Amino acid sequence: MELSDAVLDHLRSVAALPDMSGTRYELEGEIGRGGMGIVYAARDRVLDRRVALKVLDLTPAGEAQLIAALEHPAIVPVYEAGTLPDGREFYAMKLIKGARLDHYLAAQPTLAERLRLIWRIGEALAYAHSHCVIHRDLKPQNVMVGEFGEVYVMDWGVKAIAGTPAFRAPEVLLDQRSDIYGLGALLRFLLPDPNPPALGAIAAKAMSADPAARYPEVRALLADIERFEQGMAVEAWPEPPWHRLRRFASRNALLLWLLASYTFAKFLIFFLRKF
Amino acid sequence: MITIYWKPVYRFIRLKFQKNNEDAKDLTQGFFATALERDFFTRFDPEKASFRTYLRMAVERFAASQHASANRQKRGGDTEFETLGEQAVSTESPEQVFEREWQRQLFCLALGDLRAHSEGRGKQLEFQIFQAYDLAEGERPSYAELARQYGVPETSVTNYLAWARRMMRGFVMERLRGTTAGWRELRDEMRRVWS
Repeated sequence: MELSDAVLDHLRSVAALPDMSGTRYELEGEIGRGGMGIVYAARDRVLDRRVALKVLDLTPAGEAQLIAALEHPAIVPVYEAGTLPDGREFYAMKLIKGARLDHYLAAQPTLAERLRLIWRIGEALAYAHSHCVIHRDLKPQNVMVGEFGEVYVMDWGVKAIAGTPAFRAPEVLLDQRSDIYGLGALLRFLLPDPNPPALGAIAAKAMSADPAARYPEVRALLADIERFEQGMAVEAWPEPPWHRLRRFASRNALLLWLLASYTFAKFLIFFLRKF
Repeated sequence: MITIYWKPVYRFIRLKFQKNNEDAKDLTQGFFATALERDFFTRFDPEKASFRTYLRMAVERFAASQHASANRQKRGGDTEFETLGEQAVSTESPEQVFEREWQRQLFCLALGDLRAHSEGRGKQLEFQIFQAYDLAEGERPSYAELARQYGVPETSVTNYLAWARRMMRGFVMERLRGTTAGWRELRDEMRRVWS
């Protein structure tokens, strides 16, 4: 049997499409490719709503169960898991309306908004780590910002995922500190250019080549960001004296103004009395 | 394994080394004979590359050395090679052609499996409808036309096509399983086939 290029392309595309016969879902179109499979937009005919359907390439290592066990506002809830007639595993989850993190940045959000995003991502990560789950592939393409500003971390990893080079920790065996590296890489990605040196230092510390030099846990990284937001010294950056002075002035601006006004008033009264 | 790779290797040699039909066939034959003789396939390490890349690079080395020694024998090596028709029209590199031929061969074998499976299970009608629709060159008939032509309800056409595609996918996977070492390589190969 000889196949022309056109027929071959057709066969490749029809063989790739998941066989949804006998399920409650109707495919609408592909919306993305993750580490272990393809994500489609689909309609749930029974509940008459749109869902995201992830169809896994091969027998999964419990990806659906892994995600379903994580109940957190920043982790996409799984509705149902099952097997398609063609043998592939799938799971249905909430279809997020919004923008991928890298696309969201095109709207030039403020620094405060960027830090809020990192906080949400970090909280989801800390929660997952407390359940002994690591992400393994943190990158902007795996974070969605919903239409109400909610943040979702997607594509939670199973063992097979190797990670994405620019965001992946250099070590071979990935653990929670590898996710901290990924979070640092996301922070660096989110920071505007030029960025505050303290935040750059936080990202750099999280991305240390030596896992032991990184933050020991996600909460420690978030605490450092919080210190920055409150105008305090961050753990990751031994700041120069002039910077400390400037930070002190900025944190105590009102007090300094009052002090300056008081001194000025005293001087004024002193001179008025004299003349 | 040789059934899947014979044609891709042959086409790769023809394009990359501008060999005529007979020389390319001889080189392909020579490559597989030498590979089997020297236990080449068992030395493959899936950690380093996919089997297909490993094979293609070995073919390239083998054909290059044969090509060089043939040139030396001709004292001066100023042989003019036949210009290939397909090279004149193709914008693909020999590596892309190798990839494409591998996919083509994979599907050809899977379709052969599907045909045999359909005949063995008394599902010739399903296969005929699949053939009339999915293997049609040019414009495909509508489901309604197929239903009329084969005297079945339109819903059966949908079901028969779904069945045949499902089976074909399964046979492609089986063929791939036979040439990959472990599920990770299988997954990567499947992605190359579907994407």
